[in-house]
Amino acid sequence: MTVRLSRRAWFGTVAAGAAAALPRRAAAREPVAPEPGAVGLLYDSTRCVGCGGCVAACKESNGMPWTGEPRELDCTTNTVVKTRRLSRPAADGATTAFVKRQCMQCVDPSCVSVCMLGALHKEGAGKRDSGGERKGTGIVVWDKELCLGCRYCQIACAYTIPKFEWAKTDPRIVKCQLCRHRADPARGGAYAAANPSCAEVCPQEAVVYGRRADLLAEAHRRIAAAPGRYNPKIFGEDDGGGTQALYLAGAGVSFRDLGLPDMPASSPASLSESVSHAPYLHGLTPIALYAAAAAIVRRNRKRAEEGHAPRKEDEE
Amino acid sequence: MSAHHHPRPIGGPILDRWMITLLALFGVAEGVITWRFVAGIGAVSNMNDAYAWGIWEPVNVVVFTGIGAGAYSVGLLCYLLNRGKYHPLVRPSVLVGAIAYSLGGASIVVALGRPWNMYWLALPGMWNLSSVLLEVAICVIAYVGVLWIEMLPAALDHAATSPHPRWSAFGQRWGSRLARAMPYVIALAMLLPTMHQSSLGGLMLVAGPKLHPLWHTPLLPLLALVSCLCMGLGAVVVLTALMRHAWNAKHDHDLLVDVSRVNGALLVLFAALRLVDLYAAGKLRFLATPDFHLIFFVLEMGLFLLPAFAFLTKRVEAHRVRVAGAAMTLCAGALWRVDTFLTAYNAGESWSYWPSWGELSVTVGMAAIGVAVFIAVSRLLPVVVVQDTPVPASLAAFVLTRAERSRKGTAGEG
Repeated sequence: MTVRLSRRAWFGTVAAGAAAALPRRAAAREPVAPEPGAVGLLYDSTRCVGCGGCVAACKESNGMPWTGEPRELDCTTNTVVKTRRLSRPAADGATTAFVKRQCMQCVDPSCVSVCMLGALHKEGAGKRDSGGERKGTGIVVWDKELCLGCRYCQIACAYTIPKFEWAKTDPRIVKCQLCRHRADPARGGAYAAANPSCAEVCPQEAVVYGRRADLLAEAHRRIAAAPGRYNPKIFGEDDGGGTQALYLAGAGVSFRDLGLPDMPASSPASLSESVSHAPYLHGLTPIALYAAAAAIVRRNRKRAEEGHAPRKEDEE
Repeated sequence: MSAHHHPRPIGGPILDRWMITLLALFGVAEGVITWRFVAGIGAVSNMNDAYAWGIWEPVNVVVFTGIGAGAYSVGLLCYLLNRGKYHPLVRPSVLVGAIAYSLGGASIVVALGRPWNMYWLALPGMWNLSSVLLEVAICVIAYVGVLWIEMLPAALDHAATSPHPRWSAFGQRWGSRLARAMPYVIALAMLLPTMHQSSLGGLMLVAGPKLHPLWHTPLLPLLALVSCLCMGLGAVVVLTALMRHAWNAKHDHDLLVDVSRVNGALLVLFAALRLVDLYAAGKLRFLATPDFHLIFFVLEMGLFLLPAFAFLTKRVEAHRVRVAGAAMTLCAGALWRVDTFLTAYNAGESWSYWPSWGELSVTVGMAAIGVAVFIAVSRLLPVVVVQDTPVPASLAAFVLTRAERSRKGTAGEG
């Protein structure tokens, strides 16, 4: 009898463990669609001349110190223009290409998915308003009151965008918020949401600000108008579930060479959430596991107290 | 349970040479931690925006709690599978678990940039349930409490044997009350690690684009769960050997053989899950690239499979083989965890990381204070079951042990 009970308990434990840990396809999370009013940037690597005007403008608009031309994003640099050496020459023979980096404002951001208390959240969609938030812009904003400084966002971000103030005792998470503090409601449209100074100062229209849908149309228009000039792919249209910062590369230039990672069309957040949530069955599994464990432990204890002979091997 | 199963305080001087060394190591860590709160995390660590967790999260949290999972794996064997014979292993494992998890939690607080905002965690309405780390945090906080509650019977048993009548009455009354509530606490002690140990693996699911394909898989949570069971059982075997050496603690050969056999099966399960998963996901081709990731992968597999072969054959009968295998199991789990969080994690070409002396000293100091607390508690409270027929260092020690045991024995029965 005891043997049978133990064996049943063993199978129960194994099954419960498997249920708690095995991913289940059935409960996969729905993909997130871009919000209709989502705003973002279009960066055209073929138009960029690498003047760095956007970098200087960004620093000025965000009150960050100028300490020489930055080479990498850091806690005082929200955008940077890099010169990338290409692994293969471009179609026009160029061996280098420019790329501007800043927060991608993902459609389904990893940083938002992993943030413990929602300090990083889509503007207007958080658990609390960090101040003047508008709905539907899709901008990923940071609320210093809710941030524990755990830096899971830095681990999670596929583009390694969020930066941390390592030298401070009151450190912030720093990243581009599309100059939403420069929004100009009087101007209307996308400018009512934000007004990034990088796009404002670009002399080449290499950086364009607007609604994501309009930027996507503009990108397609540019490719269609000069097919020989562009890589036909628009990075960010679907990559990693889509981004609100979109990228155009020159013909024969891979986005990998620009430093943008190969991403599947689904977001990392959807994988993480599907696999992590599925076994919980909306909280049913832990309750069932707890009840089962309590019942088994109680029963075993009772048997021991009633003096039921335990398994032979238990006796000493 | 018969009297010879009863754990009792080891006794002896608390502040011996070992203890002073351990406390000194912790003192250095304390200094670094203090400086971290004065000058920022960057002042004491080499952590950077790409390797934002350095070694504190992968080692102090993920590896320490793996070692502390002995409380979970032995608990599963003892309470759920009703193998009462494992009971003597429970208290030491729970103590190791309580210490390891407390240190993991403390390390997180040290590593948090804005710990003063932690009060929000008390408001479930503010939880982002999509965050795997939130699940880990809440679960670990709860489990630290559960583990120390599981340790309370040791303190209450000790109080019950106190010559002071009030203490004795207090110990007996609350001891029996707690005993009635214990099944519900134990059930929680089974549930919570199932949740957060799998979640610890789940933490890196989202980092897919930055994690080497040999380590990134939807099976991460399951692998983390199995690896914590392996590490937990390995830790128990190593711990028992150390305690036997130091304190002549009870060392039940057959029991440890059984624990190791179970562990052998788990080790094979882990390796099989990994290999089948790599095959199913079409990732075997990454094993053809000779780089340092491959070295780590082969090392991991060796550390998982070598002890498995020892445990599942006759060799498990040999004390040395068993202890060496258990130590390798600990290394196996630790290496897989560190690989998943650090070596297989690549944030981009322009970044690199190597831990600073400050970071290392905090990790070493945390481990040292853990060992120190274990020794101190075992000396003061009934945690460890000591050998029936001790091999006495001297006749006096022999007599003292007998006398103390008979005193404890009668007091315990009374």
